[in-house]
Amino acid sequence: MKRILLFAATLSALGAGLRAADIPALWAERVKCAVAVEYVTESELERHTTIAYGTVVDGNGTIILPSAAIDLRVPSNRLKDFKVYCPDDLDGAPAEYLGRDALTGWHFLRASASIRSRLVPVTAFVGAGPAREPALAEDVWGVALRNKDEDFTPYLMRSHVALIEALPQRTAIAQQEVAGPGLPVFDGEGRFLGIGASSFGQTFLQFSNMDRGGMPVMLVNVEESSAFLVAAEVIPNLGRIPHNVSGRPLAWLGAYGLQPMDRDVAVFLKLASQSGAVVSEVLDGSPGEKAGLKAQDIILAIDGQALPHFKPERVVVDYIDRVIAAHAPGDSLTLSVLRGTTRIEVKAVLGDEPKLAREAARKYFEKLGFTAREFVYGDAVARHASTVALAGFIVPFVKPNSPADIAGLKPDDWVKEIDGAEAKTFGAAVETLSAVESDFLRSEMVLLVSRGSDTAVLRVKLR
Amino acid sequence: MKLATVILSSARSIIAAALGLGACVLAPVPARAALSRGFEQLLDSVVRIDVREVSFEDGSRRFNASIGSGVILSEDGLVLTNAHVAGPRAVEITITLASLEQVGAKLVGWDHWTDLALLRINRDEVKRRGLKFRHAEFGDSDRLYVGQPVYAVGTPYGLARTVTRGIISNNNRYFEDASGVDGYETGAFNTWLQTDAAINPGNSGGPLVTEDSKVVGITSRAYLGANNLGFAIPSSTARRIVAGLVRDGSITRSYIGIVPRALQNLESFYDLALNTGVLIDSVESGSPAARAGLRAGDILLSIDGRKLDGRFPEQLPPIQGLIAGQPVGSALVLRYKRGARDASVTVVTERLESRIGEEWVFDAWGLAVRKVSRTFARLNQLPDDAGVLVIGVQPGYPADLAGLSRGDVITKIDRRPVTSLEAAKAMYAAYAAKPAPVLFEAERDRLVDLFIIKP
Repeated sequence: MKRILLFAATLSALGAGLRAADIPALWAERVKCAVAVEYVTESELERHTTIAYGTVVDGNGTIILPSAAIDLRVPSNRLKDFKVYCPDDLDGAPAEYLGRDALTGWHFLRASASIRSRLVPVTAFVGAGPAREPALAEDVWGVALRNKDEDFTPYLMRSHVALIEALPQRTAIAQQEVAGPGLPVFDGEGRFLGIGASSFGQTFLQFSNMDRGGMPVMLVNVEESSAFLVAAEVIPNLGRIPHNVSGRPLAWLGAYGLQPMDRDVAVFLKLASQSGAVVSEVLDGSPGEKAGLKAQDIILAIDGQALPHFKPERVVVDYIDRVIAAHAPGDSLTLSVLRGTTRIEVKAVLGDEPKLAREAARKYFEKLGFTAREFVYGDAVARHASTVALAGFIVPFVKPNSPADIAGLKPDDWVKEIDGAEAKTFGAAVETLSAVESDFLRSEMVLLVSRGSDTAVLRVKLR
Repeated sequence: MKLATVILSSARSIIAAALGLGACVLAPVPARAALSRGFEQLLDSVVRIDVREVSFEDGSRRFNASIGSGVILSEDGLVLTNAHVAGPRAVEITITLASLEQVGAKLVGWDHWTDLALLRINRDEVKRRGLKFRHAEFGDSDRLYVGQPVYAVGTPYGLARTVTRGIISNNNRYFEDASGVDGYETGAFNTWLQTDAAINPGNSGGPLVTEDSKVVGITSRAYLGANNLGFAIPSSTARRIVAGLVRDGSITRSYIGIVPRALQNLESFYDLALNTGVLIDSVESGSPAARAGLRAGDILLSIDGRKLDGRFPEQLPPIQGLIAGQPVGSALVLRYKRGARDASVTVVTERLESRIGEEWVFDAWGLAVRKVSRTFARLNQLPDDAGVLVIGVQPGYPADLAGLSRGDVITKIDRRPVTSLEAAKAMYAAYAAKPAPVLFEAERDRLVDLFIIKP
């Protein structure tokens, strides 16, 4: 009897494994969850195209792209011409960019109706009940797509799970690449297991005639990933479609530069069982400041929950960021912090994050040769300036060989005065600059520019 | 020595020939002999300087050797050289006299702003061994004319007592360098003599002399790879610095925190008469000028009623010098123009500090530090000048293992603020007496980190 039971157990284990014969049938349906996304980033002088991969998550043509697919610093109105391609698709269809969700980091897109009939949401392959977490050594397979010149031909990747780790989201790491970043991973029965994460770097030794010792170089495979976010981290968040392109509201505490507490420090402070993060600065006027949080406080717990241990320790910073992002402005958070040698409770009411650089107004002055961008809270923080009087403007771009470039204006300069008059608001500055630009008789313009700890006068010769 | 005399003599005869035969006919031999004697005395006053100096860069004490030149200025053995030849990091200074005898010397003081250092030969040793040397005389650098023949004497590449000849190419060269003397600032308060006399590494600190053997400059730097673009500190500057160093061992200057810029054609923009005022190019944040409300873009018109003229770059050092020369704590009335209106403010000067603070190494920690100076703090937008900057960690030593690295500013050790280098030294002494884990707090790019240094 015992022997028969054992036999049965072996059989079922085999059943959970991956049989090559099953895959083509599973593949044909599931590959329809995968799409390639093409978009254009417009800057003052050029347009460049980016290709990323995404997964279809509902029947309305909603697609999620991993955080790294779109540069966070680019203002959303410069992201243009989104297009979605099914695998083996030549033409693609337009799509609308919906914004980025702060908690998951995902960018959401909506494909136009014309292509929706060819898309299958990944939720079609989620069974009832809680999402399955892959087991160690389990065979898993996923989708990857070739590039545009190969019509985004899908191909199969297959590996087995080597490690599951909280980073801080639970992430399975397979022995080899298992899916394109942003593309789905399945188990042997075709159940959804997770979504390919950004790839990890791998260190190789590079030998050459010049250096026979072998120089370590880290390489990152950007087309395929061996790591994937497990389904339990994905499925509950699929509905987090941003209400607007800026992803607002954004919960904000204002604890700047969190640094993980390393283990030696924890032991020294008799907190060996604890994880923690040091607050480098508490920003002016932020909810953290109002709540009485102080620089050098060590955050040990949030809402009574001790910060978990992570490997590596720095993951705790992402963990705290995610706890905040999961809240909405107006929510309260109670932080337990170590200040010096005493433990203190700090109760903060989260605010809405001040306007970000990517949301700031900007205007390009082609003849002068630079772009002016509204000065925002984050600029004041970065420059140790007052966060109350946000005057002047930032120069995010200087056109090569333009009058501004020749005068020595540099990207990231903070212009405070134009021709001796303070640029009090962005609107006023734009008005002045427009007037200067359209004045054909004018021979020069003088800018008062702050750069690092210096403030300097630049003469822009216009003729 | 013989060879040098021959070169000089032949040089003189060429000049004499060019001047006309008459002079030669009248008194050729005594003139040449007198000149040779003068030059010989000068040559006997030029020394080679070997310096062994300590460096802390790798988190440990390392010693480097370097060679320079110098000139003896007095009977009691004062030797003038460059600050980049011998400075406070020097642990052993050896002078090689013209007689090829070697004798020890000590640093009297240095001034990196003018790249000058003053040494004193060990008098007891001179007396005991009966050593002989001669000394040189300063000439008047203000009377040099462009095109005037000059000679550079020194130890280029260790070749002792090398004489090269050239002319004064420019007698008022502006040349400022924020890290020109072993990382220290230089050139803000003086202009330089430019010469085409060949100047090579090792010439540094040697004299630039006129035909009558008077020291008119201290050769200091040259463009490497260029053809004969050498620079010397004029004797008018050197004379003042030597007097100050003999008196106080250091040069104290006043500071208000403005960076001036030559107006050069900006007069019309600022609606100024020519040769009026100097542009304030930038104002260091937190400096006395900034606190008084001066801003970049203001035109500084006068200081205590003395009108300024900063039209050209070489006019800037005297203006800087005017401020620097005031006693520390002076209240200066600055008249300036902003937009259409003139105004005056009173600025109280502070003591001028280098960006580079005092350095030290904590051997058992494998940690080399430099005191954060007021200037460094301002440049890096630190809240104050507390803390010590990590300039090196020795691999495998406690500081390295704890994770400290170059560029971190250590603000607290064992929860106590590091207000001075002495405070850090005291904390190190406590550790050395009884090694136990110590908590460090450090900042880098505004990020605060904690570290444990373990024995």
